[in-house]
Amino acid sequence: MKLLAKYNRVNIPITIITLFISSIAFYFILHYVLVYQLDKDLMIEQQEILHFVKENNSLPEASDYRDQQILFHETKLNTFETKFSTAESYIKSEDEAESFRKLEFFVTANGENYIAEVIKSQQETEDIVQLILIITLSVIVFLLLVLFLVNRFILGKIWKPFYNTLAQLKQFNLSSKNRIVFQKTGIDEFTELNKTALLLIEKVTMDYESLKNFTENASHEIQTPLSIIKTKLELLSQSESLDDAQVQAIKAINTATSRLAKLNQSLLLLTKIENRQFMETEAVNISMIISQYLENFEELAEAKNIRIQRNMKDEVIINMNESLAGILISNIISNAIKHNLDNGTIEIKLSENELIVSNTGITPLKKTTQLFERFQKDSASGDSLGLGLAIVKKICEMSGFLVSYNYVNNLHSIEVRFS
Amino acid sequence: MKILIIEDEKALSESIDTYLSAQEYTCDIAEDFATAVEKTEYNDYDCILLDLSLPGGSGLTILEQLKEDKKQDGVLIISAKDSLDDKIRGLNLGADDYLPKPFHLSELNARVAAIIRRKNFDGNNIIEFHALKIDTQNKSVFVNHQNIDLTKKEYELLLYFVSNKKRLISKDAIAEHLWGNEMSGNFDFIYTHIKNLRKKLIDAGEVDYIKSVYGMGYKFTD
Repeated sequence: MKLLAKYNRVNIPITIITLFISSIAFYFILHYVLVYQLDKDLMIEQQEILHFVKENNSLPEASDYRDQQILFHETKLNTFETKFSTAESYIKSEDEAESFRKLEFFVTANGENYIAEVIKSQQETEDIVQLILIITLSVIVFLLLVLFLVNRFILGKIWKPFYNTLAQLKQFNLSSKNRIVFQKTGIDEFTELNKTALLLIEKVTMDYESLKNFTENASHEIQTPLSIIKTKLELLSQSESLDDAQVQAIKAINTATSRLAKLNQSLLLLTKIENRQFMETEAVNISMIISQYLENFEELAEAKNIRIQRNMKDEVIINMNESLAGILISNIISNAIKHNLDNGTIEIKLSENELIVSNTGITPLKKTTQLFERFQKDSASGDSLGLGLAIVKKICEMSGFLVSYNYVNNLHSIEVRFS
Repeated sequence: MKILIIEDEKALSESIDTYLSAQEYTCDIAEDFATAVEKTEYNDYDCILLDLSLPGGSGLTILEQLKEDKKQDGVLIISAKDSLDDKIRGLNLGADDYLPKPFHLSELNARVAAIIRRKNFDGNNIIEFHALKIDTQNKSVFVNHQNIDLTKKEYELLLYFVSNKKRLISKDAIAEHLWGNEMSGNFDFIYTHIKNLRKKLIDAGEVDYIKSVYGMGYKFTD
C-alpha cells in the first residue's frame, strides 16, 4: 500500500468522525444556548407582567403576535410552579409545524388566581441551528474535497523527489559507469535520503571496483606461473625416457593445467567485459562472422556428423563491439557443437532482429535460465567450465541484447534479440 | 638464427630457451629493461620475444626504440596481460605478432618461425623436409613435385608440425592452434583430422612422418 493511501485510510475516517462528532456537539450546545437565551427573554416578559400586576393590581392585556403570545387562564389552584416547555403547533398560514417555547407561571390579580402563559416562537432558533448544521456539513464535504485535492496534487508533488530517487536507485547498475544524480529537493528528509543513498552507492561502487581490479590482477598474476607450468610440462613430455606411469601423470597434469588456464582466461574475459574494456562499437557484419566461425568449426561438426541448417539473412549489420561479436558467436556455435549428439542437427536462424541457434542434445537437468549463471553446468563432463553461457549473457547485457535459452521439442535453443 | 628472449621470469625464459635452442636457434636472454635495451641496441636478432611488463620499464618503450633505430628485428610480444589495447599498440609500434600467456612452446615456436619466414628478404618461402615441400607464399604443398590438395586446416596443421619437427606436440596445443580457445576437453576430433592429413601425404608417396605418441600427442619426425 502506498504511503499516501495508508495515510488517507487513517486520516479521512478520523477527519470525518471528528467533524461529525463535533457537529453533533455543536448542534446541541448551540441549541442549548439559544433556548437559554429564549428562556431569559421569557423571564423578562414574566418580570414585566408581574411588575404590571403589582402596579395596577390587574392583568395586562393578553396579546397575540406572531412571535409572542401572552395568555391568562383562571385557575382554582392556589399555587403553581413556574415551568418552561417546548411545544409544537400547526401554523395554517405557513402550512408547517412550528415549535414554541412556553413559560407558565402563577399570578394573582384582583384576588383571582391566574396562570399566565408567555409563548415565544422558537422558529428562528431552529432555523439558525439548521443553517449551522448545513454549513457544518458543507464544511465536511468541502474539507474532504480539499484533502483529496491536496493529496492528489500537492502531496504528489512533495513526494516527487522521493519517487525520483526511487526510480534512479532502481535503474542503478553497478557495472554501468552512469553516475546517479539526484534532483535537488527542498525537503530535509529527502535530501538526507539522497545523501545517504549516494554515500552507499559510492561505497558499493568502490568495493565493486576494487573487487573487479582484484579479479583482473589476480587473473593476470596467475598467467605467469601457469605459463611456467605449461612450458615445463611441455619440455618434460619431450623426454624419450618416460615410462607409462609418468606419461599418465603428465597427461593428467596437462589436462588440469589447460583447464585452469582456460578457466582463468574466461574469468579474465568476464572481468574485462565488466570493466568495460570492450566499449568501442562499430557496424559488425554478423552474417559474415557466423559464416567464418561455421567454417572454422566445420571439422568439429563433421567429426560428430552434425548436420548444420543455415537459415541466415546476408549482410545483417549490428552495431556492437567487434571482439565481443566474435566471442559471442564462437561461444554460441561451439556450444551447439560441443553439447550436441552424434548425428545431431544445428539450425541457425539469423535476421535483422534476432539470432536463434537451436541444436539437438541431451535433456537439461537444470533450469535453462540457471545455466546462464557462472559455474552452472548441466553435465558433469570435464569439457565444460560452466562459463560459456555466462560470457554469452554478459556480452548480450553489455551490447543491449536480450538473450534466452529454451529447451523445447528436444531442441536447445539460444535466442539473441538484437533490438 | 638469433633470438632474444626478453622475459623477467627466469623459469619461463629458460623453458623458451631450451625449446628454441633444440630448433637450432641461438637464444639470448634479457631479464630486465636495461639489459634488454642494451642488447637490442648492439645486436641484431632475427626475432625478439618481448614481455611487456619488465622490471625497470615497459616493453613498449623497447619497441619504440627499435622503430626509432629503424631496426629490422622481428618482434613477438608475449604478455600476461591479454589486453586488446596493448595488442593494438604493440602491433602499431611494429611488433609482428602478439601471443598471450600462457602459451604452448610449440605455438610460440611456430609463431617465431612464421615471423622469421616473413622477415626473410631472400623470398625464401619454401620449407623442405625430405620429399615434402611447402610454399608458404602460395600456401601449397608438394610431395615429389606433385601438388597435393589440402584443406585450409590440414595445411595449417602440416605447417605447425613442420615448424615443430621432432618435437612432441600435445593435442590441446593442436586444438588451440587450429580452432582457438573455444574447444577444450575432448580432442577426439583431432584424431580424425590427423588421419586425413596422414592419408593424403601417404597417398602422394610420402613416408608417414606423423607419429602418434600414446597418451601425449603427436610428433613429426623422420
